[in-house]
Amino acid sequence: MNSLEHANWFMRALFFTLSAVIVASVLSAQRGRAMYIRRIPGLSAIEEAVGRATEMGKPIFFSPGLAGIGITTLQALSILAHIVRLAATHATRIIVGTADATVLPVAEEAVREAYDSAGRPELFRPEDVRFVSDSQFAYALGSVGLMSRDQTATNFFFGQFFAEALILTENGRSLGALQVAGTPDPVQIPFFIATCDYVVIGDEYYAASAYLTREPTQTGSLVGQDVVKAGLIALLIFGLGLVTYLAGHAPNGTVLSHLLTLLKAGS
Amino acid sequence: MWRSLQIGLSQLFSPAHSTGELVAYVVGALLASVLVLALLHKGLGWRGKRRLTMAVTFTAGLFFALEYFYPVRMVAGRQRNFLTDYIQPANEVLAIIMAFTVGLGIYSLIQVHGRNVLRQRRGWCNSLAFFLSMVVMFGFTLADNYIKVSDPPPAVLPYPKASFEILFNGLFMPLQSATFSLLAFYIASAAYRAFRVRTLEAGLMMAAAFVVMLGQVPIGAWLTHSLPVTGYHGIPAFFRLENLGEWVMTWLNTPAQRGITFGVAIGALAMSLRIWLSLERGTFFSEQS
Repeated sequence: MNSLEHANWFMRALFFTLSAVIVASVLSAQRGRAMYIRRIPGLSAIEEAVGRATEMGKPIFFSPGLAGIGITTLQALSILAHIVRLAATHATRIIVGTADATVLPVAEEAVREAYDSAGRPELFRPEDVRFVSDSQFAYALGSVGLMSRDQTATNFFFGQFFAEALILTENGRSLGALQVAGTPDPVQIPFFIATCDYVVIGDEYYAASAYLTREPTQTGSLVGQDVVKAGLIALLIFGLGLVTYLAGHAPNGTVLSHLLTLLKAGS
Repeated sequence: MWRSLQIGLSQLFSPAHSTGELVAYVVGALLASVLVLALLHKGLGWRGKRRLTMAVTFTAGLFFALEYFYPVRMVAGRQRNFLTDYIQPANEVLAIIMAFTVGLGIYSLIQVHGRNVLRQRRGWCNSLAFFLSMVVMFGFTLADNYIKVSDPPPAVLPYPKASFEILFNGLFMPLQSATFSLLAFYIASAAYRAFRVRTLEAGLMMAAAFVVMLGQVPIGAWLTHSLPVTGYHGIPAFFRLENLGEWVMTWLNTPAQRGITFGVAIGALAMSLRIWLSLERGTFFSEQS
């Protein structure tokens, strides 16, 4: 059963264990257990970036990437909501350009709610959350057009990006905007590092909600993630050692060789 | 009763046999959908909508998770469980829901550009060009789909098909390629900034990039070709630029990328759980109580 269509016994056991650890950590945080999160410069820079746009009296541009509704985009919209709440307190305008029609209504709702929760519902302008294009380069050029026409002071790029990332960020840079980017995709990280002022990389991207809101649920989930990561690293090292040992010390037909076969099947 | 329900549903969802039936199905489905959405919008308050969203999210997540994790047996050479047969219909429902949002996307574009044209804002001609392009492309794409030509196609295509070819393959695709080609210049300017040696880290990155780039081109191999291929434990051969470049990519770059992917996968799992169990409160499932 090596097919990825359905889980095998190892994946089932792993998934339920990991999920249980994360949920337990969330529940523990909800009961009031204090949890520590280290400083993440890219996320700390969000406040500075919003402040810059406010001081300059210019708008902010936010791109949730090219992907449709999925975990990466939902996280991007979660970050967007936080940025809108920050910007709303200073009445700074935010323009959101989406590339996927499924993202548009969710983004619109997230922005509307963020303005509501900041106590400034009158600042919400439906035309500021817009669908640009679902064609990759048309989206890139359309977004660059938005940035240059409105002379944005700050650009945020959070989500799934591909080749258009460099077109967006290089043009944003040439306009003199402060740029903060975040993506879980290792391929795009170098491009963002080369062109943006602050970059949120890898799993920092999924730590954003917890870091920005400090809500117990999110913080608990983040700490649970770290516990899971530590456990998996330990399991990885143990498994590597075990397979290496068994490969050298388990003659065919013995219990140890069966264990080796089982471990290989599980992986 | 279950049987009659099944028969009723299969009759309802059977394929249309004529154009009239197809039109009736599409119009009926649209009207029914609008009616259901309007009733939900009017009938459910803020809390009701939240609860409905949470219930749908949980049920859909449970369905796909159960289908993936529930033990399977081999049937006709495929792994199946009691939910496998419903995966395709579920995906079709998802596709239909997503198709609705395309309308919202078009509405957003019309709203933004329509306002520009009506108020004659700066650059309103561009918005007018958008409307013209949309109408023309829509018309010729429809025509291209419905006008049948012989196989192999004739030397001179019918006017609407030829127009589509010119607009799509002759104009739109080259524009996309031209935009893509801009990346070459952007990569050069971004690389120039990234490789300026101002700190120790930037210096290390510059050195690694230098080795990897030289390792990819013939001049790199030529520069170190005098190093022996065999020798003391293969150490001299290791310093040939093509080998050193490959070592940097395989032993330094790949583990770093895998490390990032590893962390991302766990982060995605935690985020998925938060969404599925409606714990991601601040943004999508009401404020934290």
